[in-house]
Amino acid sequence: MKAMSESLAMFVSCLFIFLLLTVPDLKAQTTVEPVEGLRENTPRVHALVNARIIQSPEKTIERGRIVVRDGLVESVGPKIAAPADARLWDMDGMTIYPGLLDVYCHLGLPAGSEGTNSAEATHGPKHWNSNVRPEDSALTQYNPDSKGLEKLRGLGFTAALIVPREGIFRGTSALVSLGDGKPSQELLRDRVAQHVGFGRARNSESSYPRSLMGAIALLRQTFLDAQWYEQAQEVFRSKPEGKAPPEANAALDALEDAIDRRQPVVFEVVDDLGFFRAAKLIDEFGLKGWIRGSGYEYRQLDRIKQSALPVILPLHFPEAPKVDTLEDALDVGMVELSHWESAPENPKRLCEAGVCFALTTAELKEPKEFYSKLREAVRRGLAPDKALAALTTVPAAWLGVDSMLGSIEAGKLADLVVTDGDLFADKTTIYETWVRGKRFEIKKKRELDIRGHWDIALDLPEQESWHAELALRGEPEKPSGSLAKDENEVKPEVTVFDEKKLSLIFDADVFGYEGMIRLSGVLNRETIRGVGVLPSGRRFGWTATRREKLAFETDASRDGADKDAEPAKAIFPRGAYIRASVPEQPAVVFVQGATLHTCGLSGTIEDCDMIVRKGEISKIGRNLRAPRNCVLVDARGKHVTPGIIDAHSHLATVGGVNEGAQACTAEVRIQDVIDSYDINIYRQLASGLTMTNILHGSANPIGGQNAVIKFRCGSPPAELIFEAAPPGLKFALGENVKRSNSSGSNTRYPNTRMGVEQILRDRFKAACDYRQAWHTYEASSRRSNLMPPRKDLELEALLEVIDGKRQVHCHAYRQDEILMFMRLAEEFGFKVNAFHHVLEGYKTADVMAEHNVGGSAASDWWAYKVEAYDGIPYAGALMHDAGVVVTFNSDNAELARRLNTQATKAVKYGGVDRAEALKFVTLNAAIQLGIEERVGSLEVGKDADFAVWNGPPLSTFSICEQTWVDGRKYFDRDQDRELRKQVSQERARLIQKILSAKKKDKDEDREDSKDKKENGN
Amino acid sequence: MSQDRIFGLQLFTAFLTCIVSLTPVFASTQVPGPRQDHAIALIGGTVHTVAGPPILGGTVLFEDGIVTAVDTDVELPAGTERIDVGHGHIYPGLIAVNTRLGLVEIRSVRATRDYSEIGEINPNVRAETAVNPDSELIPVARGNGITMAHTVPGGGLISGCSALILLDGWTPEDMTLKAPTGLHINWPSMRIDRSPSASKSEKEQKEAIAKRIDKIRDAFAEARAYMRAKEAEGEKGIGYHDTDLRWEAMTPVLRREIPVFVNANGIKQIQAAVSWANSENVKMVLVGGRDAWLVADLLKENDIPVVITGTHRLPSRRWEPHDLVYTIPAKYHEMGIRYCIGGIGDARNVPYNAASASAFGLPRAEAIKAITLYPAQILGVSDRVGSIEKGKDATLIVTDGDPLEIPTNVNMEFIQGRRVDLRSRHTQLYEKYKIKYERIRN
Repeated sequence: MKAMSESLAMFVSCLFIFLLLTVPDLKAQTTVEPVEGLRENTPRVHALVNARIIQSPEKTIERGRIVVRDGLVESVGPKIAAPADARLWDMDGMTIYPGLLDVYCHLGLPAGSEGTNSAEATHGPKHWNSNVRPEDSALTQYNPDSKGLEKLRGLGFTAALIVPREGIFRGTSALVSLGDGKPSQELLRDRVAQHVGFGRARNSESSYPRSLMGAIALLRQTFLDAQWYEQAQEVFRSKPEGKAPPEANAALDALEDAIDRRQPVVFEVVDDLGFFRAAKLIDEFGLKGWIRGSGYEYRQLDRIKQSALPVILPLHFPEAPKVDTLEDALDVGMVELSHWESAPENPKRLCEAGVCFALTTAELKEPKEFYSKLREAVRRGLAPDKALAALTTVPAAWLGVDSMLGSIEAGKLADLVVTDGDLFADKTTIYETWVRGKRFEIKKKRELDIRGHWDIALDLPEQESWHAELALRGEPEKPSGSLAKDENEVKPEVTVFDEKKLSLIFDADVFGYEGMIRLSGVLNRETIRGVGVLPSGRRFGWTATRREKLAFETDASRDGADKDAEPAKAIFPRGAYIRASVPEQPAVVFVQGATLHTCGLSGTIEDCDMIVRKGEISKIGRNLRAPRNCVLVDARGKHVTPGIIDAHSHLATVGGVNEGAQACTAEVRIQDVIDSYDINIYRQLASGLTMTNILHGSANPIGGQNAVIKFRCGSPPAELIFEAAPPGLKFALGENVKRSNSSGSNTRYPNTRMGVEQILRDRFKAACDYRQAWHTYEASSRRSNLMPPRKDLELEALLEVIDGKRQVHCHAYRQDEILMFMRLAEEFGFKVNAFHHVLEGYKTADVMAEHNVGGSAASDWWAYKVEAYDGIPYAGALMHDAGVVVTFNSDNAELARRLNTQATKAVKYGGVDRAEALKFVTLNAAIQLGIEERVGSLEVGKDADFAVWNGPPLSTFSICEQTWVDGRKYFDRDQDRELRKQVSQERARLIQKILSAKKKDKDEDREDSKDKKENGN
Repeated sequence: MSQDRIFGLQLFTAFLTCIVSLTPVFASTQVPGPRQDHAIALIGGTVHTVAGPPILGGTVLFEDGIVTAVDTDVELPAGTERIDVGHGHIYPGLIAVNTRLGLVEIRSVRATRDYSEIGEINPNVRAETAVNPDSELIPVARGNGITMAHTVPGGGLISGCSALILLDGWTPEDMTLKAPTGLHINWPSMRIDRSPSASKSEKEQKEAIAKRIDKIRDAFAEARAYMRAKEAEGEKGIGYHDTDLRWEAMTPVLRREIPVFVNANGIKQIQAAVSWANSENVKMVLVGGRDAWLVADLLKENDIPVVITGTHRLPSRRWEPHDLVYTIPAKYHEMGIRYCIGGIGDARNVPYNAASASAFGLPRAEAIKAITLYPAQILGVSDRVGSIEKGKDATLIVTDGDPLEIPTNVNMEFIQGRRVDLRSRHTQLYEKYKIKYERIRN
């Protein structure tokens, strides 16, 4: 199949080169299909004359002609002689554009769920995961209906990249012309790009992955597998004897072009953070990447520009959120409000930033919305020539078909769009679309336009000839008019027929009759002659002569940027309180006169000063001299603690924190799915927190890799990750991994704590075996002739654990499983950094202390499950007293805001010393996370992460007033009050803007319907 | 001091008992307090009566379970047991409003869940019939000064009737202070999902909401019809009407003898619930009321109190101020809306929810009232509990500090004059494992 399509592609490109090199002498496309009946040989030679020709975004011919021969443009220019064999098309008053190219289109593909069940997907050497179908080809499923084609041609599109819809690896796209021929005749290029998304197909047979991080892990593993596959196949091909043939895998085979950069890989993303995720993968695997954008690019313009990735941009600007009532408005978020305002400006801003983008109809509810959205983008500042380029030359160049598509030039396909004006102006109409020299009429041209001012003369019987003025305006197909003489005026109902006929009916009052008068007439040049009928039935003659034509109504102000359009000035496009960048770092900060809870060897010092230089604590002591030019933090009468560190959370992630579809998913990474816009980061900063340890959930014995982040609110995800934190892996034991508490029975191994132990053992053994395989391979002198082992991200992570390069965080409740896991750790020689939850840790605290394993507990949770029934709030104290490094964690975005007073529970239950208790949420967390060299206490040389409190930090009555991270002030109660004001003003502004926009729309509608009503009368 | 020693001895005895017969699961080993058979005077501490300003160096005298004197200078009857509380503080017993205490032991085990009946209209189920006096959760709450719990059925639209139980007693009957305290309703969510992924249209959603609200309306209409029919029995030509337990249970609500507790959070829900309660002419208590501060006038006008279901919650909307939930009790206080703080999963943490309100503007004395007197008023038992006053139950706690501060310990606790055990499964396990590590150390 692949070979065949490759040769087809080869054929098409050769054909194409051939076309370019030879004088255009091609007749109709050669086809192998026999003709039934008579052959059709109407000459395919056309001359479009007297047109305004937009050859390309840069080049316009004010009046010229285009000669089309056999589907190609033969010549174009201001003074080209029409060949004698050409059919002439008078394009007077028309503007001709190059055909548009939709570079992300699902036309002709089965809708949604049907899509993935292609024959290819269900048979043959397919990938184990049904979300990995790179071998699927959109072309093999392409079966466009004529309506769909018509819709796109109606918008001026003459070619489209047909892109498979669903899954993670979705398959390849095909570039087709949008004519009415068979796919075999319309294909321009197959296997143009590989398409990738981050969500599983709706009807996917595979349960893995269920989370976004799982999807990313699957992407990474599959790209690696494809690299391995290529190598393994090559080794086998070169010398098959003595080797077992490697697995055959159509998916990995199909990815060869993508990983070798011969084929672009297009990532579909849903927002700007998704863009980063895709960009990271593109970078990691050196792909030729494109992004199918989201419309949210404006939120991260600089970084998106830096990525230098081409963007395919949809125009699905949102409808106005519903804010009509106070109640409805409450539930509309800042992101939604801001996006409504900013989205239409997204193309303009990308353009100004110099990002290379193409436009698409993708994501629109209906293709017909395309122009209203596009024109809105133009009104909001997108230059029309850029818009045209984004639909013609830009995508043509990306696809490598710019010698065929994208502009009107000799030798290119005769793909043309005929309009009555500027494509980006509001009232422009598309009349024809030519696809490879074939004309498709979209709308009839106005053969008869009777609008204008006419002198009308009625030869009424028994009266003098009656002269009046007839004014006809409105739409040419349905003009409205008035018939006036002196003071009298009637509004006739006007009907225009084809064949230059028209009729008028009007009230006969003014002529002294009762009833209606009917006129009908025929236009000849500028005169109408006809017959009238009086109410009595008597006939009379009439004539009318046009004094002046009515010019086409074009709204000059609307063919470009609307000068009145207020630019979007949303200040919280990433959500309320989320800043656009990190706050400044003062060179020197002087914290004066605090009760300083150092959590270090110095304990608590009253009236203490602290000097911070460039984000690092440089001096602590009493009565220090304030450095020059320092930023002063007056902490007299206040308390200062190290920034609170949450040792266990599931904060700031998107797409799920559990990849529970398999028992072991060590390959998934929280770092891939961090949501830097999570409002809880700000809320927790407001509670004195500076860091959190984001963990995978507890759905499986081996979960994913955790991420330790600093609350650098305003940074993108990658910069939140704390650079000094060692990597880690989450394990889980007990009821959750046995799925004891889910409804229905469990069919996934393990089902018992016995099974949990065995599966852990088996995976660790697998990691050891894996290492052995690599050792053998790498130690061999004849490596080039050996089948290479496959790189396995899951086992790599476990090996790192065994090698002490990756931390271990283990969710555990009962003492038996805590012991079991420690014994396993002994056996495989790794260290457990902390047991989490660890409700019964107080029962095995001696062994934990012996192994130097931390205990990270909730202060007082219990009885929510059977394994939590022995949870006691004294656990912290008991473990602490036994020598275990204890933390109290949150596991919950709400509780995290009160970690300081959670620590107090260690004082209440078990009498832990206050200074020691505070360490439960500061230094001890740093120790458990292996970052105590940098954070966790206020000591010289450490990071300036600290919080200022208005009272003792362990008191329920104390409030956090300031929070500093890296010597930058991220939270301040006074600033917060200012921010609240901004948030509420900004909401009010946007809501007002929506309401007035709605009112304007309504008024315009009313005007329209008033017009219609008047016309009707 | 001698008292402490005695107490210590008691503790040790009980401790041995529990070591010997370590706990059949789900049954606490704490023994209910003996009936007060002699006068007791708590002497020397600070009495926070809640009814008035604190009395320094005051005495609280109680006899037969009832407070008989609170003052600085109290004449003690002969044979009064004098307990010197030293620098301690005496507070009324704390009340946990809107809990499931006694009705569930372990949430994830269905067999231990007794709070949610089948179906949507269950006005007739009564919490006090299913309270497990031996729940291990009860001594844990009691150990931190919670003396009473308002225990509430949940689920469906009309969940059932709640009870106020004392956290001491051999049987649910011993424990019940008042039942029913109210009928509990879950107001249907009125939120319209307008996201592109919404599975139903706005119109369909609105219809579905109206349908659910109608179910509540219908239940009340039928209950009222039943009540009238029963009232009319015996009148001329009117015979006997067969019993309907559901509507029978609603009669006290319709007669305004007990309130309806309506769980509602969104602003639209609250508006709809209030207008519904007015049209039904029932006494309403709002439970939750996340958005209630936005329609404070409505609540004030209709004198509807609010059970604030904890302050330890996140703002429900991401654009709201980070401390919004903490500041709501202070807002009610300033606006003159009646409220109390309850609805906390682990009842022992009730005081810290009140404390957070206090950190964000609620006067401390108010914060104490929010978990003592105000719940008593809202539950209609303020004539008996909620403050330390002559004639009220001797249900009180003796602490070594402000109960709103976490390190503060409850050193003594009386429920209707009965001195109760402050130990629990937690203290037992603590003592047990302390021994383990002591042995290792020695």
